[in-house]
Amino acid sequence: MSFYTIDSLTFSYNKADALIGNISFNIEENQHIGLIGSNGCGKTTLVKLMLGILKPKVGEIYLEGSNIRGISLSSVGEKVGFVFQNPDKQLFCPTVWEQMSFSYKYGSRNSKDGINSNINYYLEAFDLIKYKNSSTLELSRGEKQRLALASVLSRNVKFIILDEPTTGLDILRRKQLEKCLLSLKEEDKGYMIISHEAEFLTKYVDKILRLRTEGVEYV
Amino acid sequence: MIRIDPRTKIIIVILISSAAVIIKDIKSLIFLLFMTVLFCKLFTIPLLESMKKLRKLWYFFFILALVQSLFTSGGDIIVGIGGFRILTTVGLESGISIIIRMSIIIYSALIIASAPVLEVVYGLIAMGLPYEIAYMVLLSIKFLPLLKEEFADSIVAVQLAGAHLDKIPFMQKLSLYTYILMPSVIKALLRARCISLSMECRGFRAYQTRTSYCKLKMCKADYLTILAASAAIFVIVFFI
Repeated sequence: MSFYTIDSLTFSYNKADALIGNISFNIEENQHIGLIGSNGCGKTTLVKLMLGILKPKVGEIYLEGSNIRGISLSSVGEKVGFVFQNPDKQLFCPTVWEQMSFSYKYGSRNSKDGINSNINYYLEAFDLIKYKNSSTLELSRGEKQRLALASVLSRNVKFIILDEPTTGLDILRRKQLEKCLLSLKEEDKGYMIISHEAEFLTKYVDKILRLRTEGVEYV
Repeated sequence: MIRIDPRTKIIIVILISSAAVIIKDIKSLIFLLFMTVLFCKLFTIPLLESMKKLRKLWYFFFILALVQSLFTSGGDIIVGIGGFRILTTVGLESGISIIIRMSIIIYSALIIASAPVLEVVYGLIAMGLPYEIAYMVLLSIKFLPLLKEEFADSIVAVQLAGAHLDKIPFMQKLSLYTYILMPSVIKALLRARCISLSMECRGFRAYQTRTSYCKLKMCKADYLTILAASAAIFVIVFFI
């Protein structure tokens, strides 16, 4: 059984044109996938469908064999971590520390042991420890992007989806992201990266999926 | 089809809602409600659809009317336990009046809502409201859905962070909502600041007056509509 099974998926925002037309593919739990495609081809929409934020018009999406229509967003969130393209949409807590500890406080599956050391580790890794008690609104775009990444990576999820994670990162922070991706690979954790940077993708993913209106293909 | 000036709609709404507040008699309120519905029909407002959209608001009004009915004493007892009055004729009348009054205000607001927002702004400016304040009204109308969207995004992010909103205890849920409400409001305000900055970059408030490509002109139909509304309200207030 694959981690994700996308079966004959079709989606459109309006009745006239299908943005995503009859696509099927599988993703394994420890697979590292890149997703590419031109602007507006539906990459973020596909991810929203995979997370259950949007519902397919036709076709089905299965997460660990269960139809995503029947799974709550919270249950999807326990298994899949998602780094939003716009970090402002992801950061909802007043301070950096609260953002990092949110899943431990309100989530049900995460072990509560070693919370502080785990959070501190990721704050150090993403050079955010000095902002520990700062408001999330005071951070720059790059810092917000790093915090969004750190808060997802610190959670014990099975699979991570990153929507253009390199946007707003400088060379140094990009290296930190790359280090994290490598450590995820070492931990045998799967991820899917949406990016326009083919060079970056070829280094860190096993397969690249190209999304087009006519369907998907591996490149 | 006659195009009604937005100022006409604003004046009618002011007349109707003022009358709804002044009138105390239930019979007059029913006539005023009937008149408001007639005007809604005149302005081709889909009343049934609008009522469906405002479903949650009606529930609130019914609760309000119920509370008003139970806590207003006087008149004959309709429902009572022993010597304790639960519902009286005056209480019931007061509850019904609240529902009718709220319906009149909501329906009259629909009359303004039937005009494009920008036209209403031009109407307010033409009526002498300073354009800065008129645009402030426009922006606040536009910001309500933005604030809603901001909050909805936060709720999605909260759920994707693994929080089961349906399972956590009520008090914790309440604290969670207040927790995320503040950043959502601040984000909306920051967005408003960006918009005001970009408006000022394009010369907003640089001059005392503003030119406009939309010229409003009151025609005979507008004056007749205002006259008819005023006459009807006069009759309802003083003769019914």
